[in-house]
Amino acid sequence: MRRRLRAGVPGYVLIAPAVLVTVVFFLVPMVVSGYWSLTKYNGIRPPQFIGVDNYLALLSDDIFLRSLQNTVFFVVFGMAIGPLLGLATALLLNNQLRLRGFLRSAYFLPTMVSLVAVATVWKFLYQDDGLINAVLGFFGLPGHSWLLDPTTALPAVIVTSIWQGFGFETVVFLAALQAIPRVYYEAARVDGAGPWALFRHVTLPGLRPTIVFVYIIGIIGSFQTYDQMFVMTQGGPLNSTRTVVYDLIDEFTRLHLGYASAIAYVLLAILAVLSFLQLRWFGER
Amino acid sequence: MSVQGRLRGWGRYALLLVGALLMVAPFYWTLSTSFKPPGDVFASPPKIIPDPFTLQNYQDLWTFLPFAQYLLNSTIVTATIVGLNVVFGTAAAYAFAKLRFPGRDLIFFLFLLTLMVPFQVNLIPLKSIMVSLHEISPFIGADTYFGIIAPGAIQVFGIFLMRQFLLGIPDEILESARLDGASEWRILRSIVFPLAAPGMATLAIFTFIGAWNDFLWPLIVTSSDSVRTLPVGLALLARKNTVNWGDTMAGTVVTVVPLLIVFLILQRRFIEGLTAGSVKDAG
Repeated sequence: MRRRLRAGVPGYVLIAPAVLVTVVFFLVPMVVSGYWSLTKYNGIRPPQFIGVDNYLALLSDDIFLRSLQNTVFFVVFGMAIGPLLGLATALLLNNQLRLRGFLRSAYFLPTMVSLVAVATVWKFLYQDDGLINAVLGFFGLPGHSWLLDPTTALPAVIVTSIWQGFGFETVVFLAALQAIPRVYYEAARVDGAGPWALFRHVTLPGLRPTIVFVYIIGIIGSFQTYDQMFVMTQGGPLNSTRTVVYDLIDEFTRLHLGYASAIAYVLLAILAVLSFLQLRWFGER
Repeated sequence: MSVQGRLRGWGRYALLLVGALLMVAPFYWTLSTSFKPPGDVFASPPKIIPDPFTLQNYQDLWTFLPFAQYLLNSTIVTATIVGLNVVFGTAAAYAFAKLRFPGRDLIFFLFLLTLMVPFQVNLIPLKSIMVSLHEISPFIGADTYFGIIAPGAIQVFGIFLMRQFLLGIPDEILESARLDGASEWRILRSIVFPLAAPGMATLAIFTFIGAWNDFLWPLIVTSSDSVRTLPVGLALLARKNTVNWGDTMAGTVVTVVPLLIVFLILQRRFIEGLTAGSVKDAG
């Protein structure tokens, strides 16, 4: 054992910095956060243990429940439209095309750019006398205060988020489409398969792992939405764009550290369950 | 090609070009607005080309608003995070991929578990840790470069990515170097780093995008403009409802352009890097 440990020294030295950073800035905060979620704590007086009271309080906290509902709405609509748009674009791009490199980059561009920058641009576009209303007016359609109306604010933010994100799905699906061997298509064609049958029986099965990947990454990411709301709506109007993470940060800045930690653990639990279910249902068979 | 097939081809082109226009137009509008005087920002009908053309908004950013400082801060923070991740992430990945030591696979598994945990779970105690560190020394902890950089200095995702890459290096090369009496440090420096260069480039790109665009943590850990990064500065500017949109659009351009320049230079590698690992070889 002694000798094996000594032989292992270079390995331990090489991973030591990574372990140190992960323990101090990840593991310790995670455990502390779990403990704080069971306490009443304002950051000044010592944490006071109250069991699961914070979690029980969340169940009847209308603002938290509204935030959760908004987040689910955001995830469901974003995930219903974004990946489909990405797949459709990838299918259109997956051909011998002039300008393909340019087109691919155009769709990919917004994904790389900071969400804050994208949200800033769209907040400008959505202004009462902004470009979107000007274009609508050009076609004789009435304008609207998109971000100031509680019924349109969340859909408006969702449109921005889909616009920002689906280029990633496009590029990922495009790479996956090109990895499907040509011979599969040829063989199916010889057997008399039409375009729909080819898509249904060759393309879709070939894309299966990619679809799972896109949805897992997408759901985890959009459940944590915050940046757009910070810039575009500050969670309003009337809490209509307040998300779980927005609620968490808001409770944190109001020094409800225990309560905010409980929200963080609820978020963790939701994401863990969703990832598990997806892998279970849609993973490799 | 039949008439029908040709029509379908044109239809596809038209659709893709309209889509591409919708992707590019907001960027163009941002750039165009950043060169307009305040009175022209909401001109009706919209002025597609700035006329008169002014650089006043950019001068405002540099004189009235601290964007020069934000740009410097973003550059320092991003460069440091990229450098630390490439060196220490690759070193750790080499140990996990090619060295034997007790507990190796267990530690690696625990590392992977951390990828499942959303950052917000650690956020609150992390801020408290940073506040405490700042009481020890003014150069570390909350509201310092150190505070922004430290939690992302060696990211597990990077270690995972590099380990996948290094597993592809044949053991024989390393063994023969060991037989020649080379130490592990020497092997790392003279063999692993050069062989891993393409993987390190991908890791650098990933880390660069993430660090340059990162918002939540820099927002929470900073409280003064002397260390704030571009996304934080821009968000605080855009958040106010009584904004001069010309200035705000110029700020957006300054936030986006450095990333675009790097993207244009490394375009193919960017896209390949971002899709790496997401696609399994179906062949």
